Amino acid sequence: MSEHDVVFDAMGSHVRLLIGEPGPGMEPAPAAAEWARRFVFEFDAALSRFKPDSELRALNDDPRERVPASPLLREAVRAGLAAARRSGGLVDPTLVEEIESAGYVASRAGVPGAPLGAALAEAPPRRPAAPARRARWRRFEVDDEGGTIVRPPGLRFDTGGTGKGLAADLLAERLRGYSRFVVDCGGDIRIGGADAAVTPYAVFVEHPLTGDRAHVLRLRSEAVATSGLNVRIWRDPDGRYSHHLLDPSTGEPAWTGLIGVTALAGTAVEAETLSKAALLSGPGGGREILRDRGGLLVHDSGWVERVGPLAAPPTIRLPERAVA
Amino acid sequence: MTERHRVRRPGPAPVIWGSVALFAVLFAFLTYQLAVGRDPALGAKVSAPDRRSIVIRRVIKHRIVTTVVPTPGASSVSSAPSVSAPVPVAPAAAPVVTSAS
Repeated sequence: MSEHDVVFDAMGSHVRLLIGEPGPGMEPAPAAAEWARRFVFEFDAALSRFKPDSELRALNDDPRERVPASPLLREAVRAGLAAARRSGGLVDPTLVEEIESAGYVASRAGVPGAPLGAALAEAPPRRPAAPARRARWRRFEVDDEGGTIVRPPGLRFDTGGTGKGLAADLLAERLRGYSRFVVDCGGDIRIGGADAAVTPYAVFVEHPLTGDRAHVLRLRSEAVATSGLNVRIWRDPDGRYSHHLLDPSTGEPAWTGLIGVTALAGTAVEAETLSKAALLSGPGGGREILRDRGGLLVHDSGWVERVGPLAAPPTIRLPERAVA
Repeated sequence: MTERHRVRRPGPAPVIWGSVALFAVLFAFLTYQLAVGRDPALGAKVSAPDRRSIVIRRVIKHRIVTTVVPTPGASSVSSAPSVSAPVPVAPAAAPVVTSAS
């Protein structure tokens, strides 16, 4: 059971690929890993909000209402809109002005985050986030026939909320024929392959406060994603702590009582959407969002709460057997 | 002439019946004493023999065979203790970690 293991930095995070044995007619794992690595760099180059020559920046700066867009950009916008719909507007891809106002104007890759404990001590009273009344994301349309994206000029789009999950899903489609694989795009993970169904992967969940192992998941063919406040957190010009998960109703960083959420789902985009939506919803709403597929809520106190199928005790079957 | 007082001897019947009655009374008394455990021949009080008590103990052997059945529809099993769960896990050079990024 050999696997090709590749790690590199892209999309402001670490990317890791574990690729098993190729199926009939498929290229060897090292070649597939190289193709995947190039794909991730192209993906990042096209969809980064921070790269001035990215196609996403071109879209956001284009004065036309209908803008020609590549299949990849259309797919990324479609994924962002699907996340917004799925979350009822909580995961809003149009909060570009707001996130820049909060101080997130350049990539924070490699920049250590501010201490989360200190930020929690100074944070405002906790309350769940809510969708924006205007729901500007509804004004985006993807026209695949015309190969364009339609939106009011000046309204900008950020694929960051679903970008890494989308990259993991697209790579997973490519690697489907391998005996087993893991695509880890900055913690948004897709797992698959026939062997993985038999011998699952252990996935460690990192605790946002301590960095320790908060939990171990055993995953076969599915996806997992984690959202948290611990990595992209900083002091804004006024000296207040800010982070990148905004309350769409206010445009301000959301302090909901949760500091991290891990969600399980069928795809990485869905898992990423659920984890963000649950974190923005706070403990009560978060439990509801994770109830079906399961996940973990990490509270401000550091308590790790298992939700949904993860919280259920194991089913024990007592076979009928004569008692000696 | 002094009248000589003559002592009349009792007849045999009163003697016999008196003896029999006295014997019956004494016999009944001694029988009663024996019955209640006060045997004069033994001197001290001897308690009536204890009833033999029989303790019935029900011995139950619990032999539980457990099989963990995955939750239908969910392909993941998790928990901190599940590190020692019976499901074999694919070895990886470094652990796969999900964290905020």
